[in-house]
Amino acid sequence: MNIEEYISSGILETYALGELSAKEREDVEKNLQQYPALRDELSKIEETMEAVLMKAALNPRAEVKQKLFEKINKVPEGKVVTMAQESSSGWRYATASSVAIALLSSYLAYNYWGKWKKSESNLTELIAQNQRIAQDYNNVNLRLDQIETDLKVTSNPDFTRVVMKGAPNSPQSQYLASVYWNAQTKEVYLSIQQMKELSKENQYQLWAIIDGKPVDCGVFDFGVAGLIKMKSAFAVPTTFAVTIEPRGGKPSPSLETMQVAGNLAKG
Amino acid sequence: MIRKDQSALDYLYDHYSGALYGVVFRILKNEAIAEEVLQDVFLKVWEKIESYDSAKGKLFTWMMNIARNQAIDKTRSKESSKGRKTDDIDYLVNKIDIQEHSQLPIDAIGLKEVLLKLSEDQQFIVNQLYLKGYTQSEVADEFNIPLGTVKTRLRLAMIELRSILDIK
Repeated sequence: MNIEEYISSGILETYALGELSAKEREDVEKNLQQYPALRDELSKIEETMEAVLMKAALNPRAEVKQKLFEKINKVPEGKVVTMAQESSSGWRYATASSVAIALLSSYLAYNYWGKWKKSESNLTELIAQNQRIAQDYNNVNLRLDQIETDLKVTSNPDFTRVVMKGAPNSPQSQYLASVYWNAQTKEVYLSIQQMKELSKENQYQLWAIIDGKPVDCGVFDFGVAGLIKMKSAFAVPTTFAVTIEPRGGKPSPSLETMQVAGNLAKG
Repeated sequence: MIRKDQSALDYLYDHYSGALYGVVFRILKNEAIAEEVLQDVFLKVWEKIESYDSAKGKLFTWMMNIARNQAIDKTRSKESSKGRKTDDIDYLVNKIDIQEHSQLPIDAIGLKEVLLKLSEDQQFIVNQLYLKGYTQSEVADEFNIPLGTVKTRLRLAMIELRSILDIK
């Protein structure tokens, strides 16, 4: 048989449309078994037809599905397969059971395909979940590193803690922030306990008062957790204070915006 | 013998009811009758699933042929005897946009784009055979085209569609 001619006659399209006579169908089915190229071609024809009809799909109303399932549940499930009474030959049973096995396995194959699709989508979901958990873990790890670093400062006896409380002209006396100052290394760290939220245009600025003059120790934003490293204060300050300044800070403080202040204990 | 799992039918319905309803509706053009036929189609699929043989074709083809046959049988019954052959050629491409029915095409724009890439002859054949549910010999008789030409045009249209739809 010339496969190409056979295919180009369009007989497989006609077969897929279910328009062949019973005899012609049988012939095509025989040929399909014999020639893989025909099976391949048929499956492309079927896929094309399916893709076109999927694009031409129309949604039936939702009640249709509901009614269908109601009908199905009225019909007793499964059917009794009656076997021929005479048991003259074992072939009959062998054939019957092999047919049964074939039917069962093709049904199961299709059924498992459905289950496989479902587990595939479950898997995708689990992978996404896994990535989220890994991300969370990283975040926690980073936070832990920061806390460890902070702890090294707060537990180091070289650091003196200066508690800055709400300044007299601050509207809220419960504002609170702390400075950790190291007399050896001159390092300054700051931690916010309670401060008000600032607009984007403004930042807090920390000042060290040295010999009665304010020295800039850098700016910081509202809402930072943990310790913030500030500019070092090279002489011994008497007081630390925080003012609200335009973003980026100013060379000298606007005293009327002082929020918190605290004196360094002498000793 | 085989305990049927209704979730299987549920799956089939969710995946294919749209495509099959499209087939049935375009042949019958009546919502109530098309819905009734769609139910019958799924009842039949449910009853006969054991007789489906994957060596003879894909599951969708098998279901599509059930749908097509049930719908065509219905047109032959008195309930909807008229109207089937009086539409103009552009029935699908135009009507689907007009949306005169309550059904919304799921992917009509995609379909229109695909069909417009075919030659007019091929559009016509695909429209008549796949969308309107005519048989090849009906198209040949109705429009005075030799049956061989109908088959060749379908064959060429399918090859064209295969590359448009990227089916390998």
